[in-house]
Amino acid sequence: MNAPERQPVSALTPEAAALVETYFTRVHGALLVSAAGECEEAMLDLRAYVMEELSGGAGTPADVTRVLSGLGSPEALAAQYSATTPGSDDPGRLPGSDSGRLYGRVLGMPYDVRVPDSGRIASRWWNPLDPRVFVPRVFGLGWDVNFGSLAVKLRLVRPDDEDEPFAAVPDRVVTATLLLPLVLAGVLAALVAITWTGLPPSLPAHWNAVGVADQFWDGSALVAFLALMSLAPLLFAGWVHSRRRAALNRVAASALATLMATLALTQYVQALFYIGGERGIVPTFAGLALGLLLPFVLFVVISRIGRAAEQRRDLDGSKKRRSM
Amino acid sequence: MGTDGDGRLSQFRKGVVELAILALLHRGEAYGGEIVDRLGEHPGLAISAGTVYPLLSRLKKAGVIDSAWRESPVGPPRKYYRLSQMGAAEFEEMARAWDGVTAAMDQLLGKEQAL
Repeated sequence: MNAPERQPVSALTPEAAALVETYFTRVHGALLVSAAGECEEAMLDLRAYVMEELSGGAGTPADVTRVLSGLGSPEALAAQYSATTPGSDDPGRLPGSDSGRLYGRVLGMPYDVRVPDSGRIASRWWNPLDPRVFVPRVFGLGWDVNFGSLAVKLRLVRPDDEDEPFAAVPDRVVTATLLLPLVLAGVLAALVAITWTGLPPSLPAHWNAVGVADQFWDGSALVAFLALMSLAPLLFAGWVHSRRRAALNRVAASALATLMATLALTQYVQALFYIGGERGIVPTFAGLALGLLLPFVLFVVISRIGRAAEQRRDLDGSKKRRSM
Repeated sequence: MGTDGDGRLSQFRKGVVELAILALLHRGEAYGGEIVDRLGEHPGLAISAGTVYPLLSRLKKAGVIDSAWRESPVGPPRKYYRLSQMGAAEFEEMARAWDGVTAAMDQLLGKEQAL
């Protein structure tokens, strides 16, 4: 198996980061010994969980020891993972959990019903080291797009462009990623304000394959639903940013909010399109494409800013050393 | 070779490729694509970029290798990898262990062939 990757450790003290690395190296070694096979996803998730737990504290060795002690010894943990790899009797069962099969595969399709967190979203949506473009969905049945792999395949980034994704990106730039979903939510609010008085009491909420509305909702209910769809992920992203989570997690939360705000806007535009007498679901297709494109562009732009910051650090440093 | 055989070979190769990367970097620094290409020159070690880059990332996090961006004589800057002090010591140790393993395996495999 590949080693457990991801999750920036830059917010930790060097001693604390070394403790985390030592722990996962020991887990990795124990997994190799036990021939556990491929369990990279589980290790990514575990690392994301550890970093999520640590991100609220000062990132000291004591914090790391406290969090890791909750997982047990690396060898014991590896033994639990070995027992839960595909082919075993109980795939997808979390170590130390009594909650049953929370993730795994059904009829060859991956599923995951654990409560999503910013670490898991981040590790699935932007992982340029993972060559798979389609990765198990963060929540639900099916696959999500690993934008990092897609960017590598399109030669927009290289897998090792950044030591830790987005860790070198200036903090203000990471925070500014929230502006994108904010603007989209603002556009939706403005559109509703402009068109509200001319709307019929009920609005189309669902369309069949040929673009004929087959479900109508009360106008107020539909707008409230779209507002919730747009604002709840935005509030989640704001919370992730305010808790000073790792830069990758923060950008991923902004990307999620961007996707959801785009989908909400798409739904409303499609309704206006229908009310205006047009038929077809062109706005829906355009909106879905935009919903994938915007997070992708966001990730790539932030990654390139991170790469540029690393290059400045190394190249300027070597120039200074030569001139001394 | 069947699927299981392919999987075992892949696992076997992944274990060895870590030492191969350290050996390459012991000869001098190299960038990621160069490491993939140079491993590809040895059919027994040919392994995809999708395996090499995560391995480089793990070795760097473990402090075995260092990396830094450098200007390239052709094209854009590249991220070069080199052995850290700890990595150099680890490589020496692994190389010695490898000698022991290969000697033992040669003996065992030779014995099998003689039967």
